[in-house]
Amino acid sequence: MATRLQFENSCEVGVFSKLTNAYCLVAIGGSENFYSAFESELADVIPVIKTSLGGTRIIGRLCAGNKNGLLVPHTTTDQELQHLRNSLPDQVVVQRIEERLSALGNCIACNDHVALTHTDLDRETEEIIADVLGVEVFRQTIAGNILVGSYCAFSNRGGLVHPHTSIEDLDELSTLLQVPLVAGTINRGSEVIAAGMTVNDWTAFCGSDTTATELSVIESVFKLREAQPTAIVDEMRKSLIDTYV
Amino acid sequence: MVQYNFKKITVVPNGKDFIDIILSRTQRKTPTVVHKGYAISRLRQFYMRKVKYTQQNFHEKLSTIIDEFPRLDDIHPFYGDLLHVLYNKDHYKLALGQINTARNLMSKIAKDYVKLLKYGDSLYRCKSLKVAALGRMCTVIKRIGPSLAYLEQIRQHMARLPSIDPNTRTMLICGYPNVGKSSFMNKITRADVDVQPYAFTTKSLSMLFFLDISGSCGYSIAQQAALFHSIKSLFMNKPLIIVCNKTDLQPLDGISEEDRKLVMEMKAEAMKTVIGQGSEPTNEEGVLLTVSTLTEDGVIAVKNAACERFHVALPKPRDQKERPACISQAVLETKAKQAAEKEKRKTEKDLEDENGGAGVYSASLRKNYILSNDEWKEDIMPEILDGHNVYDFIDPDILLRLEELEREEGLRQEEEEGDDFEMDGQELSPEEQEALAEIRKKKSMLIQQHRMKKSTAESRPLSSLGLDPSLAINRARSKSRGRKRERSVDRREGDDGDAMDIYDNQASKKLRLRSTSWSRSRSRPPSEVVPGEGLKDSAQKVNAIKLAKKSVLKRNKNARRGEADRVIPTLKPKHLFSGKRSIGKTQRR
Repeated sequence: MATRLQFENSCEVGVFSKLTNAYCLVAIGGSENFYSAFESELADVIPVIKTSLGGTRIIGRLCAGNKNGLLVPHTTTDQELQHLRNSLPDQVVVQRIEERLSALGNCIACNDHVALTHTDLDRETEEIIADVLGVEVFRQTIAGNILVGSYCAFSNRGGLVHPHTSIEDLDELSTLLQVPLVAGTINRGSEVIAAGMTVNDWTAFCGSDTTATELSVIESVFKLREAQPTAIVDEMRKSLIDTYV
Repeated sequence: MVQYNFKKITVVPNGKDFIDIILSRTQRKTPTVVHKGYAISRLRQFYMRKVKYTQQNFHEKLSTIIDEFPRLDDIHPFYGDLLHVLYNKDHYKLALGQINTARNLMSKIAKDYVKLLKYGDSLYRCKSLKVAALGRMCTVIKRIGPSLAYLEQIRQHMARLPSIDPNTRTMLICGYPNVGKSSFMNKITRADVDVQPYAFTTKSLSMLFFLDISGSCGYSIAQQAALFHSIKSLFMNKPLIIVCNKTDLQPLDGISEEDRKLVMEMKAEAMKTVIGQGSEPTNEEGVLLTVSTLTEDGVIAVKNAACERFHVALPKPRDQKERPACISQAVLETKAKQAAEKEKRKTEKDLEDENGGAGVYSASLRKNYILSNDEWKEDIMPEILDGHNVYDFIDPDILLRLEELEREEGLRQEEEEGDDFEMDGQELSPEEQEALAEIRKKKSMLIQQHRMKKSTAESRPLSSLGLDPSLAINRARSKSRGRKRERSVDRREGDDGDAMDIYDNQASKKLRLRSTSWSRSRSRPPSEVVPGEGLKDSAQKVNAIKLAKKSVLKRNKNARRGEADRVIPTLKPKHLFSGKRSIGKTQRR
């Protein structure tokens, strides 16, 4: 089930939140609207944690994580780290990384089994990612973009990538990630997928600009509503294919 | 995204209209009244303005033409080629180039004539120069008349071009006339398809080659095959589909052996393009399709085949590892529960609304901490710096200890001072004390003697040399030099009284009186009351001085101008010395 919401009039909800299967991080906003949207959906199941990273609210772009662990950039303060440690369940490992590319969320895209990373990431960082998140790490680009974390979003059940990804790339990525992938957009045509949405295995949150068509693609490919990804081709093509008259 | 809309290009007037527009505007927008009697500079300025204004207008108009017509090198190659085919690139570029040259010529002409106008010495000459300048500009426009006409024609034609966005997905339907391309278009456009141009923007171009297998269009299959082979090179690496139309008249199976061969050849060519694209050549059916636009048989199949651009990549297993999804049991349970009953949770938003709304309510970040003991939630979080707990380095009673130390030190110092004081009196015996007094006395005596000697002549080697030492003695440091005014020669003379006797008492009375009181009056303290100042006593004067100082303090601090500052007033106020006086009076302006 995908939810549409806004963070303080911005549709880039993936920037201000980080959703995984074991926890959800939310930026501290002026009001509780954004937090409560997550809270009402998730708080019974996983902890929903209000936090900042390095004093900023763009936490979704700064950190990377899955159900096994959470990687935060070197700009994170000790207080924030302590806060995260206190708020997260014990089985989630929190690790601060001394990596030059501090926007980890933009450089790393991962689910619970596989991670795609920026091609210039340190070898040490790569090892830390593999250890802390318990994933296989692949250095990849998506449609020629090195910021893999920005241009794709995937869970253990499906994924959405940059709309200009070629079919060959799609097939290759799908084989690497072992999930069905679809090229698409979010927020009425935005191609920065991960900035516009945040997703885990059973729910997704999208920016409020997302169209019904985009939303139905998301629900199908991430299997959020008992639908199979092939439904996109089988049933929805009619509304997806643009005709040219 | 660039919009290729050529409808917005402004109209290009022909040469004659162009000149009329500009000249009438110059006439309307610049002053028209001029008299012979005006100052020559004013006359020159009048005509220069006309020339410059005309040139500016020409420049603006020509610039809009140059800017608005698309530059063939900058636009999408599709449109570039289209325009080339329609209007001939060279001719088009030449026309725009001429406009550009004309624009440059105009500015040159205007510059030259403005320069000449600076030397115009009468209204008549200035006017002649203006006429010449405008005339030359008009001639330039007349010369580019054909180019303007050509551009106007192009503009009219371009406005009628369909506005095609070459960046979106494009399908090309080709074939001989009357093979059913339009019927196919009509059929598929009537299909109920929602237009969603933004959701998926994978660029591609697919080709449909229409083939009339019945031959009712007037072209044989052989002719159509020849056309196909002549244009097939354009389809390299593009998905190509051959559509056999009019199957209602002639089914594909029923065509003659030769025609079938031709069709199969074409199919083989189309397969090649598919292979060249990198796909697997498995879908032979996708290359050759049959359709009947009359019976709508196969129309949808063709449309789907042509639009088959949407792709879901399904993973091929690369190893045996299981990668299960991770959905907690609770989610599934709540999902099941949701179906049964919808339970509302009290969210932070509800709490916020209850407690004063956004900006007033401040949620605790620690509320949801997962700790073994709930009481620990509100514990103060240690300040950590460089990996160390700052509190480890804090001594809580450090101030107390400092105070203690200071007190101790104070005590010790006092003791030491007391010791010093007593040393003089206590450690010396009476005899020694006496000796000490004697020594000190002797020392001071010696100093005094030396000073005496220094101030008298005996000690000076100058006297033994036969020189007067008095100047040197006077210069000695120990002697006060007196007030500066008293050192002057006539003062000293006046002081001793003998010289004064030379003057008559009456004559020098005033002088004498003043000179004796001179030095004192100069050093009069400011608070002293001088008769005639109008102040009662010195206290009042002190007060007055204080008030005066206070009143200027602020102004001086800000470095503002005061009444005591030097001022040069406006000697010739402009408003009294300039302006027209056509009918008015000389005095009043």
